[in-house]
Amino acid sequence: MHVAGRKVAVVGMGGAFPNCSGLADFNEKLFTDQSLIREWDAALAHGKQIRSTVSGFITEAEMGLETVYSTLAEGYPETYIDKLGRIPDINLATADIGSIWAMLGALDAIKMAGWTDSETQSEHTGVVVGSGGAGHVVLRIAWHNFFELNKKSRTAGSHTVDRTMVYRDAANVSCLIKNQGVCEAIGSACATGLGNIGYAYRLIKFGLQDRVIAGGVEGTSLETFIGFDGMQVLSRGFIPAESSRPFDVNRNGFVCSFGGGIVALEEYELAKSRGAHIIAVIDEYFNNSDGDGNMFAPSFPGQQRLWQGLMRDTGLRPDVVKVHGTSTPAGDAIELLSVADALGDSGYHISAPKSQFGHMLGAAGAVEFIAALLMLENQQVLPCLNAETLNPELETFQKTPQWAGPVNPLAAYRHLLPQTTFAKEINRIACLNYGFGGTNSAISISRDS
Amino acid sequence: MERQEIIDGLVEILKTIRTIDPQKLGDITEDTDFIADLNTPSTELINIAAKAEQKFDVEFDDDDIDDLGSKVKDIVDLIIKVKERG
Repeated sequence: MHVAGRKVAVVGMGGAFPNCSGLADFNEKLFTDQSLIREWDAALAHGKQIRSTVSGFITEAEMGLETVYSTLAEGYPETYIDKLGRIPDINLATADIGSIWAMLGALDAIKMAGWTDSETQSEHTGVVVGSGGAGHVVLRIAWHNFFELNKKSRTAGSHTVDRTMVYRDAANVSCLIKNQGVCEAIGSACATGLGNIGYAYRLIKFGLQDRVIAGGVEGTSLETFIGFDGMQVLSRGFIPAESSRPFDVNRNGFVCSFGGGIVALEEYELAKSRGAHIIAVIDEYFNNSDGDGNMFAPSFPGQQRLWQGLMRDTGLRPDVVKVHGTSTPAGDAIELLSVADALGDSGYHISAPKSQFGHMLGAAGAVEFIAALLMLENQQVLPCLNAETLNPELETFQKTPQWAGPVNPLAAYRHLLPQTTFAKEINRIACLNYGFGGTNSAISISRDS
Repeated sequence: MERQEIIDGLVEILKTIRTIDPQKLGDITEDTDFIADLNTPSTELINIAAKAEQKFDVEFDDDDIDDLGSKVKDIVDLIIKVKERG
């Protein structure tokens, strides 16, 4: 299905990043080993109702936005005002917070890419952006107004559909930039961000589009947060900066965070011919499913097949592996052993950006893809903060007869996991993300040679 | 309730609809058309109607809204009719 000779370049990026004023601030904070995780007042306000209170959240004010509340439904965000005048009111009227972040990220990515209006508005330009979407203030208030307060459906206004539909982020970006090509959203839980970028890569690689705006967003949402809080899977008991601790023996859950990552992809020769800066070249994207019927548990065989699929055609080995690394007890152990099974125990390093900003759910794969792009640009490896002690004992599953992976404890791979940013020559990075439902995604990117 | 009083109230509602250009609200008359003259997105008409129900303390029937025209006088007439209906 690949069209011979077609390559895909990354030429732009943008997004929404917790506790950061923009991409430059995000870059500066990441590579100085800072944590973007904070105590969240919105969670703290619920006292004993809620178990975890740390998050990489983003407020409306931090994004230059102001909420306009409805006079008809208490607490209902009727629309938003862009205090910085970046998005027209007509587009804000159809957008939830995540969609606004997607539009802002798209504008930044297109600006960095240097696309003209005619290129952006071409039928050869697509938009592929998605979100995890596990809860939403717009629906919560609208439904409460109708079901509990018995008010008429029209009191929630006429925008509950466009502001909450599954592909709202893509639709809003498309209506803003007026592209005439594909407009879709891929949903694959916490692999959504990378899944959309991977799908966009294929659209160009297969000759269906020349340019695609792609990525994932997860708007700040206590509704989403409490779903995971109720599952008892969120980190608790640490100060914010130490709450996300992938691979550490004392990890006890992930930090539920929010954000957005949008990239501009372009067919390589087109980008090259107009003199664009090539941030990275995408070598390959591969995704699969565990196939074991388990909604939640990671699968070593599934991840083994993921690595085989990623490297099968190219044979390319990464200098850095940007892991999913959520900081959950089960996920991290399987992932580290899968990486070691595929690549051995030397010749590469592992970077875990969630240690710095938490798990952005549907945005995770896209924002972490941007973190990988920054690693390529800066020629520095981002750390795995708080991975202080790796388990010196074998994991329980490693002691079972059916275990077919490495028989070393996680501590044997200590040297692969830097705790501070460091410089080295980076030519290639592999990015991994997984999601509920047993979905696995991997992408390989390289420096332009 | 006087018709001009209703129009003034409608203008206050229109000021809260951010997709309507506030500069066009200076000379609203009964013949002003929400869509043709104010360039109001059609999806916003139901928001205007719902806010009018609240502001003028009336409740429109679904048929009233289905039959509602797009001129200012249409909604003024409806508000007066519903008030008289009681």
